Amino acid sequence: MEYIDQDPSEGIATQQINKNYQSSQIVQANATGFGAASDDFMERGIDLNEQLIQNKPATFFFRVNSDAMLGAGIHIGDTLIVDRSVPPKTGKVVVAILNGEFLVRRLQIQTHSITLLPENKKYGAIHIEHLQDYKTWGVVTYVIHGL
Amino acid sequence: MQAIIDCNSFYCSCERLFAPTLQNKPIIVLSNNDGCIVSRSDEAKALGISMAAPYFQEADRIKKFGIHTFSSNYHLYGDLSWRVMETMRSLLPPGQVEVYSVDEAFVDLHHIADKDVHDFCIHLKNTIETWTGISVSIGAAPNKVLSKVANRLAKKNKIQTNCVVVLDSTQKIQTALQKTPIEDVWGIGYQYSEKLKVYGINTAFALSMKDLSWGKKFLGGITGIKLIRELKGLPTHSMQAPRTEKKMIATTRMFGRNVSEWQEVEEALATYATRCAEKLRRQHSAAKCVQVFLLRKPTINYNAEGHYHRGSQVNGFALLDNPSNLTPDIIKAAVAIGKTLFEEGEIYKKAGVILSDFVPDNALQTNLFIAPADARRKKLMNVIDNMNAAYRNDVLKFGTSSTQKNWKMRSEKRSKRFTTRWDELCIVK
Repeated sequence: MEYIDQDPSEGIATQQINKNYQSSQIVQANATGFGAASDDFMERGIDLNEQLIQNKPATFFFRVNSDAMLGAGIHIGDTLIVDRSVPPKTGKVVVAILNGEFLVRRLQIQTHSITLLPENKKYGAIHIEHLQDYKTWGVVTYVIHGL
Repeated sequence: MQAIIDCNSFYCSCERLFAPTLQNKPIIVLSNNDGCIVSRSDEAKALGISMAAPYFQEADRIKKFGIHTFSSNYHLYGDLSWRVMETMRSLLPPGQVEVYSVDEAFVDLHHIADKDVHDFCIHLKNTIETWTGISVSIGAAPNKVLSKVANRLAKKNKIQTNCVVVLDSTQKIQTALQKTPIEDVWGIGYQYSEKLKVYGINTAFALSMKDLSWGKKFLGGITGIKLIRELKGLPTHSMQAPRTEKKMIATTRMFGRNVSEWQEVEEALATYATRCAEKLRRQHSAAKCVQVFLLRKPTINYNAEGHYHRGSQVNGFALLDNPSNLTPDIIKAAVAIGKTLFEEGEIYKKAGVILSDFVPDNALQTNLFIAPADARRKKLMNVIDNMNAAYRNDVLKFGTSSTQKNWKMRSEKRSKRFTTRWDELCIVK
């Protein structure tokens, strides 16, 4: 940010020279998610949001703290991307509220009940008849897993 | 038709979205510094908790009924508010959503045939609830005043109306107006309602029967005419251009402890001034008027009659030569005013910085006579705002605001910032 220390009485020419300096600052800045590249010839870099978020107002992130869905590639510490605008159909991995807890499981809808299936032999399927205690919160669309 | 979409117990709904154990339990949300109750779930309302009541006044009842209490979590509410508004924008043609407050928006439905308005409102409501998890009530009518009337009825009878009321016939409008007490009409304050009752006007219907000249005489001139026109069901005269900028920006906080040193007051004022200037830049305005107040700690908390003493307040203001939204300008003015108000030996418990008298910032930027130095300073402000937005906790500060002391909100029962912080995401098992 040195450019602010410069003498304001310096003319337009100086500002032109400074411009390149500023834009290099802006490129660095992008890494932290702020600012927009102002140079005409610069292409915007690949934006992960475009790939991972289809509907921004309906998309939320969750942190996984269970190995119940290991078989689906969901590990402890992973980040889940949950899109509430995706219809929760049988076969979808969902975040659900059951007995005051957030669970991630594969959803199976029957006529009068719902089953939440784990993907880890350590856990059993949860069969829900009393649907008033249950709520599908949203459909998991991606899992972000560090290697 | 016009509609108003209003979130149901907005702050409580936000909290509930990430609190699976509190789905049908009574909950409340407190204001800044945990002072007053600002949002109540329906269950808390049913238990007789009153709106805007000081927290300490209701503390016994809150404990007795086990009402879950939250401090304000503005990061969460702000994010969810954006989601609700964005959902509306994605379902309507551009420019037809006018954000009215954090939890309310007017939407222009002129592109929908009257007979389809009800279905469309249901679609809007369901989509907002599905996408964001926030439940809303919708009132639709030929104009804004009547849409507010409709919305109030939707909220009062959530189950019967499914939170949507459309006033699409003279008959329905009249019935709705008859059910609306005069003090609940949009724009009629307590004072006016008392005045109107003297004239025997107790319902919105009675007021709608008055002619326009009566409104001009007894209801504040042109405003009165507009109000009565709309109650009569005539379309809003001139669609106001959507205006989301605030007319006044304030940052005020309780210190949370006794403060008697000028240096501490100065730091607090600089911090608040910084916050105000940020808000001002976000809405692309510049302020002409800077106002500062300091609240002294009362020597006794209750007087002889048992009335609570708030403590005496000192105010001062300054008009800037040139409207500004630059942090150093605002700090300079606020600190200078504070200095004239501050008295050695007094104990202070609260301070505030209030900006008003705004002009659009773009008018400043296009001013040919603006000093080049100012343009540079503006760039610096952008950099600082962006840095702080990216890193959050105010990594860049001005020299006057303290680097150690925390003049931020007191918020003891705040939930996590589930939607704005990576390290505070909701846990799923």
